[in-house]
Amino acid sequence: MAQVTLRKVSKSYDQHVQAVKGIDLDIADEEFVVLVGPSGCGKTTTLRMIAGLEEITGGEITIAGEVVNDIPPRDRDIAMVFQNYALYPHMTVFDNMAFGLKLRKFAKDEIRRRVDEAARILDIGELLARKPKALSGGQRQRVAMGRAIVRHPKVFLFDEPLSNLDAKLRVQMRTEIKKVHQTVRTTTVYVTHDQVEAMTLADRVVVMNRGVIEQVGPPQELYHSPATRFVAGFIGSPAMNFIPCRIQGRGNELALRLADNLSFPLPPERTQRYGAYTDREMLLGLRPEHLTELKDQARPNMVRLDSRLDVTEPMGMEILVHFRINGTAVCGRVDPSVRAIAGETLPMSADLNHMHLIDPETDRVL
Amino acid sequence: MRMTRTAPGAVRIPAIVRPAARHVWPTLLKITTAVVVLVWLFPVYWIVLTSLKPVREINSKVPVFRFSPTLDNYRDLFVRFGFAKVLTNSIVVTVVSSLVVMVIAILAAYALARMRVPGEKHVALWILSLRFIPVIAVGIPFYLEWQQLQLLDTWLGLILVYIAFNLPFAIWLLRGFLGDVPFELDEAALLDGLSRLQIIRKIVLPVALPGIASTAIFTFVFTWNEYLMALLLTSVDAVTVPVTIAKFIMPYTILWGDLSAAVVIQLVPMLIVVFLLQRHIVRGMTLGAVK
Repeated sequence: MAQVTLRKVSKSYDQHVQAVKGIDLDIADEEFVVLVGPSGCGKTTTLRMIAGLEEITGGEITIAGEVVNDIPPRDRDIAMVFQNYALYPHMTVFDNMAFGLKLRKFAKDEIRRRVDEAARILDIGELLARKPKALSGGQRQRVAMGRAIVRHPKVFLFDEPLSNLDAKLRVQMRTEIKKVHQTVRTTTVYVTHDQVEAMTLADRVVVMNRGVIEQVGPPQELYHSPATRFVAGFIGSPAMNFIPCRIQGRGNELALRLADNLSFPLPPERTQRYGAYTDREMLLGLRPEHLTELKDQARPNMVRLDSRLDVTEPMGMEILVHFRINGTAVCGRVDPSVRAIAGETLPMSADLNHMHLIDPETDRVL
Repeated sequence: MRMTRTAPGAVRIPAIVRPAARHVWPTLLKITTAVVVLVWLFPVYWIVLTSLKPVREINSKVPVFRFSPTLDNYRDLFVRFGFAKVLTNSIVVTVVSSLVVMVIAILAAYALARMRVPGEKHVALWILSLRFIPVIAVGIPFYLEWQQLQLLDTWLGLILVYIAFNLPFAIWLLRGFLGDVPFELDEAALLDGLSRLQIIRKIVLPVALPGIASTAIFTFVFTWNEYLMALLLTSVDAVTVPVTIAKFIMPYTILWGDLSAAVVIQLVPMLIVVFLLQRHIVRGMTLGAVK
């Protein structure tokens, strides 16, 4: 059993730079939590504070109910996988994995058993006698994970473990990490700047920005109901489109006005939510998959937009089309069967059932 | 005359010059290298030859290359001039001071390179600046101090001076080498359960071995060859090999036989050290640790 809790945890350097600004987080036993955000958002610092590699300036971190603020890293019963693997270059793969166990005075048979077990899980049994320099990037990554697994720690910490791998291997190792977690079921905190990695791996994603947590939730929830403009823009690829707009009208007859000659009735179920924001500069958030080619059958709240395409990007299963709505560059996704040619006009439709309305003053999604 | 078919306007490239030039340069380079090596090695060869010559051939006006080699000079060196004592002095002073320097320098460099030391850059520069002091400038002060402390003409006196001279440079060099070892190795080791001292011994030392070996060689060679301080601070009991060699150049004569035998003996430990450590000087130990 190992929950990890962070209470008002903060980290500052030289009294001036505040890397982490008092965050609260509860991580359940066996949970896979991913901290994601742009560089400098404080995610790695948070992870390193959990590991004990950075001192905690303020607040409290507990692992399995025990406050660890003043406990040195080696006594926290955690294992970490580093971005650049940090394998001991002068030791064989076996010794790399066994090193932590030897230091903790485990019996030889037990060490052998645990290393073999980890090697089986990670499929690196053949490599045990090799030195790290004789391994490929993916193999080194497996060994680094093996070194963590053999310890049977309370918590796994991953610090951008896949960013040194090429794109194809990254996808493969991503699946591998997920498989390992399903087998070993150890509480895991994983740091990445790649939102795809975060979405695919996490039970819950923690989106961080400028030292604070923007939102915590399961991947689907973050995708479909982002709490802030930052989360809305960060999660999802291509990113969500933000279009300046105004809400106009009274009572149940509200309209979304994008330009003088571009105005649509709001879906009736949303009028109550948005009623208080009429006649103000607002932002309409719309994901690319909700800006599609105009279908023959009209559906409620699908509104027509005619567009001249600036750029088209055929992706195989879809075509990404870039065009402008009242001067704002946006991206839409159309079916590959559609004749989408740059420079020509294409009738598009916006699905207002999935719209988000953002208050630019607070950057919150309403 | 043979007709060559050339497109109109095409420039004919003289076909002979290029391949030839390609061969000329490497050959020239090889010859130059050989000449340079010969020029550098000749004095060594000549001194080894001289050390094996009978006195009559040494003093011959015409250089002699063919003679019956003898170990008389070496015997003379040890029997008449008590060279064993001198050699012992040099070995003890060099080995002890080099070991102490390496231990202190590794600890200091580790702290400077890999831990948060307040004003670390200033400290490092200040340490290096100590090395800028000309040896002769501190020679007399050391002499007077050692006189008071009764350290003149003792092993300890020389050892302390050599530690003082070698430490700054060794710390500076090692700081660079240890700084090259990926920091994550320390952190991985911290999580694995090592203490700082254990990390230095079990992780950083083996990984930074090439740099440490180079630093050790520098320290060893400097101490082994040092002349000025040894001349100032020793007289009878603690004289070292370089000081003794110079003493063979006397006002009215130069004892070439003994001198060259002593030089050859001085060369041997350095050759041994360099051959032992050169395997480690080859870089590349850290390959595979990261990336």
